[in-house]
Amino acid sequence: MRFHVSHTHTHHRWKALAFACLTAVALAVSGCSIQITSQPDPSIGEDTMLINADKGNPLFDRNFNPYMTNTRTASRWIYEPLILINPLDGTETPWLSDSWEQPDATTIVMHMRDGVTWSDGTTFTAKDVAFTLQLIEDYPELDIYGAWQHLDSVSVDGDSVTMTLKSEDSPALAIIGKTMIVPEHLWADVEDPATYRNEDPVGTGPFVLGNYNDQQYSMDKNPSYWQADKVEIEHLLLPSTNNQLDTVTRGYDWSYSFISDVSGTWGAASPHNKWWFPNAGVIGLIPNNEVAPFDNVDVRRGIALALDRQSIADVASEGYMKPAGQTGLILPNQEKWLDPRIPNDGIVEQDTDAALEAFARAGYTQKDGKLVGEDGQQFTFSLTSANGYSDWTRAAQAVQRQLADIGIDVELNMPQPAGYQQAISNGDFEVALGGMGNGDVYQAFNSLMSSDFYVPVGESTSNNFERFRSDEADRLLREFRSTVDEDRQRDIVNELQQLVYDELPVIGMYYGGSWGLYSDAKFTGWPSEEDPYMIPQNYDSAPLLTFTKLKRVTEDQK
Amino acid sequence: MTSTQNVRIQSDRTGDTIAAPSRWRAVARMVSTVWGNTKARIGICILGFFVLVAVLAPFIAPYSAKDNSFERNADASWAHWLGTTAAGEDVLSQLMYGARISLVVGFAAGILSTIVAVLIGLSWGYLRGFASEAVGFVVNLFLVIPGLPLMIVIAAYLQNGGILMIVAVIVVTGWAWGARVLRSQTQSLRGRDFVTSAQFSGDGSTRIVFREILPNMTSLITGSLFGAATSAILAEAGLEFLGLGDSSIVSWGTMLYWAQNSNSLLTGQWLLLFAPGLCIALLALSLTLINFGVDGISNPRLREGKGR
Amino acid sequence: MRYIAQKLGLFVLTLWAAITLNFFLPRLMPGSPADAAIAKLSQNGPVTEATRAAIEAQLGVPTGSMWDQYLSYLHQVVTLDFGVSYTFYPQTVSSMVSTALPYTIGLVGVVTILAFVIGTLIGVAAAWKRGTWLDSLPTLTGSFLSTFPYFWTALLLLFFLGYVLHWFPTSGAYAATTTPGLTPAFVGDVVQHAVLPALTILITSLGGWIIGMRNTMINTLGDDYVTFAEANGLRGRTVAIRYAARNAILPNLTGFGLALGGVVGGSILVEQVFAYPGIGYLLFNAVIGQDYPLMQALFLMITVSVLIANFLVDILYGVLDPRTRR
Repeated sequence: MRFHVSHTHTHHRWKALAFACLTAVALAVSGCSIQITSQPDPSIGEDTMLINADKGNPLFDRNFNPYMTNTRTASRWIYEPLILINPLDGTETPWLSDSWEQPDATTIVMHMRDGVTWSDGTTFTAKDVAFTLQLIEDYPELDIYGAWQHLDSVSVDGDSVTMTLKSEDSPALAIIGKTMIVPEHLWADVEDPATYRNEDPVGTGPFVLGNYNDQQYSMDKNPSYWQADKVEIEHLLLPSTNNQLDTVTRGYDWSYSFISDVSGTWGAASPHNKWWFPNAGVIGLIPNNEVAPFDNVDVRRGIALALDRQSIADVASEGYMKPAGQTGLILPNQEKWLDPRIPNDGIVEQDTDAALEAFARAGYTQKDGKLVGEDGQQFTFSLTSANGYSDWTRAAQAVQRQLADIGIDVELNMPQPAGYQQAISNGDFEVALGGMGNGDVYQAFNSLMSSDFYVPVGESTSNNFERFRSDEADRLLREFRSTVDEDRQRDIVNELQQLVYDELPVIGMYYGGSWGLYSDAKFTGWPSEEDPYMIPQNYDSAPLLTFTKLKRVTEDQK
Repeated sequence: MTSTQNVRIQSDRTGDTIAAPSRWRAVARMVSTVWGNTKARIGICILGFFVLVAVLAPFIAPYSAKDNSFERNADASWAHWLGTTAAGEDVLSQLMYGARISLVVGFAAGILSTIVAVLIGLSWGYLRGFASEAVGFVVNLFLVIPGLPLMIVIAAYLQNGGILMIVAVIVVTGWAWGARVLRSQTQSLRGRDFVTSAQFSGDGSTRIVFREILPNMTSLITGSLFGAATSAILAEAGLEFLGLGDSSIVSWGTMLYWAQNSNSLLTGQWLLLFAPGLCIALLALSLTLINFGVDGISNPRLREGKGR
Repeated sequence: MRYIAQKLGLFVLTLWAAITLNFFLPRLMPGSPADAAIAKLSQNGPVTEATRAAIEAQLGVPTGSMWDQYLSYLHQVVTLDFGVSYTFYPQTVSSMVSTALPYTIGLVGVVTILAFVIGTLIGVAAAWKRGTWLDSLPTLTGSFLSTFPYFWTALLLLFFLGYVLHWFPTSGAYAATTTPGLTPAFVGDVVQHAVLPALTILITSLGGWIIGMRNTMINTLGDDYVTFAEANGLRGRTVAIRYAARNAILPNLTGFGLALGGVVGGSILVEQVFAYPGIGYLLFNAVIGQDYPLMQALFLMITVSVLIANFLVDILYGVLDPRTRR
């Protein structure tokens, strides 16, 4: 047994170890950044598009029922809607319904397209439409777009479907038009459509299911598709478990994800990688109008004037997004609706003096750098955001900093997403961070201000979380619903915008983006800033339009 | 009759009676045993370094930790020795301020869970019969429930309490292990003579446990403390990495969370991921190394260096 | 016999308490499963009231009083039918667990056994050659590696060995193009995908076993019978392995037993980073998604296996070490 500690031996060991550590540290400090490149799999054909659109958990479940929450993304490319709507600006493109009329505000007549067949050969008819609408009435858990909140009855006549609405409700066209049509001859015998996984889907869409395993599935082009001549993609490949590193290195043709420093990562990984981040929503502050002092418009105005939106946008979205206006519209998508009388496109610039004036009217004055109320206490409130949404967290921190400059003490309250959702729907907050805005202009103002969604604090609602009530707003929205005249609608929207601008039910801050990433190595014709025909998202029904516009890159173009 | 006159009773001579060393001498001896162990010495130096950095952070950090006015995702340069984060904050400054949180959480959680472990473990070891089984039942229950998932659930429940919440979560899920270890030692000490004699002289149980048994277990408790602090530091990092902590504070764990969320590996800023993780590992290592020396106090066979 | 009966009684009681706790834990979390699903959806765009109603109808917000729910939960436990998952609706909990379980047991189970065996052997060597580099190097390296946060090691290994050097695949349990089955190709693929996660767990857990064994070994080597054996002329190695190690391994066996029990829980952090379809990944998603049925089933499975492992180890210890039977 050795008792003697061999000092020189261990001493050498320590030295060696220390030296190794130091070298490692030196290497590290040299700050060499390693560039990741894109490594596309050469076995994927030139006619096959690799899409990053379906995240498994981490494996896939073979669920192609387009109405279920856990459906595969591609199920919404197998089943098509009546009208294809661009979420960016609400543009309606005739799809399975090639034309429609609204003779008055309670009736819609849609004409179904000829020459459409299901992928098993059966002809598509208006009867399938009536069947689908009946299906989602019988099973409300499938009515994910809420068609039957507006529909009263449906009748079929030849290739036309007549829909009678519950009341004067012209914007209901956009909601009902989203319904994805399923085949009556296959679904009529399904025992429980609400849990039906539809493992072998038959639809009217451009693609049919190819090979399937629980980590990847492929789609093949539907040769009998009614727009087959426009679709140049022969196959789609959708792998699962897509993390950010995978996104960049795998050579995806179409991906969708917020990536930090996009030009240094996605952009640098391959010369063919491009991106487009259009504005798709507005992120703002939602003050609880039922809780003092946020029921006072001057307090809301004061907060709005105290914020430096450019700085918040930079910090939250790493410079990708711009400040948003106070009109309730998403610009530039909804530019045609913008009221030219509202200054600066509705963007409220930071103006500390005006902010202080607004606060003064509400009874708050600045004392020793703090904003104090009539009771002498500092104005303090809690800002609720969801833990885990990193851009919202940064925005909340920026708001906290900026309001501290004017003397307001903001506390951040960040429950988990589920807890956050519960808090805002129950009104259990003072000011919350939230998203708003909608490509469909009526929906945007309706969800924002309609007192249909108003419930007192303690009860839950799914819209108008700020619990704003205004007879004026309700009247305007009612009028919009009752008219099919576009000019009249435009006037109403102008007044609605003015209302949002003056009353500030919510305080807009910056735009939320749609993070489209794509590669033009194999396919060109992607939607972009110059050609914004569709939102660049690769989920829901939106890609149906994109698939018909993409062209294969020919040899001489390479 | 024997004369007792010239028999001096040597009751007050302090020379040759060996008095028990004063408290301070005992502590000093323990410290020197630990210091004598090479590994522990290195551990103490590393820990001292981190404590120094944490305390002096406001003075030695080049910028404020939350100052995000710099260029985003910058590489290492003379202005920013370790580069900047995706939000434009200086990594080195964040590292220095972050040391405070990790140290505070580590030691607060470690000390608190050791206190709970001592209270419960010692009582459990001393008690006999039904009371002992009952305590054992509760401890086993806590041991059996999976730690990380429990932490996640509690963290989600407590929503947003910042550092206090993290400390509370770690203590609630971590005390059981130490209690178990301390209990088995208490059980073996319980059979010793000094305990029996204390019982016979009528001392109450609480007094016996805390005045007689506990002092004999100081080294084990210290070891358990450092172990608890180590796992607290790692648990805090894990919780914040998963996004369950308070993402608005600056700590090594949240640095890793932001690094992961802004894909620093992708942007080539792997240093953002490497540096906080290395610091966590080094801090935890220092505590583990010190534990080597502490082991030596209770078990002389494990001692090294001159202390043997 | 009395010993076993006592342990059995405690086992049953703890089991009941664990089951009840498992019932309450998921319900502690704020927000309902529908809230979690809607929160996830709202990241893609505004969620309409209709969608919300549809989701609540689909997921079936729990109904009935707490007591009713508890009774039906107990029924589920006894019949091992945990119903349908919320987050992976309409898949059943059993199908999800049975898909994930083999991967976890395979990965974590094999690695735990490997780590224990390798760590113990190294620990014995370290204690025997105490004071030399054979002692300090493994001990120091082991301690250092064991302080690495799991997810950190995982991320670094993933990045350097996976993305930069392309030595190993970066996610999943097998390649997307391989069909599952008991073919050598598939098995080889699974092993290839398991290397990085396994390496992460191995690196981080090895240190604990090494040091544990080393310390108990050092204690044992100081015992009288070892000196006696040496004095009798037995070779060093025989003494170390046949006498000292067998006694020293006992306390570590308890730890090993508990570690095996914990295998079922998978390794959440490692599976997250590698997107490995094991129990840990499932558990994390279940907790974040407020998926009561799935959470309950998984918590239960983990607690029960740890309890059983505890129980078996206690019995085993009683068999191996007669002193504890008193």
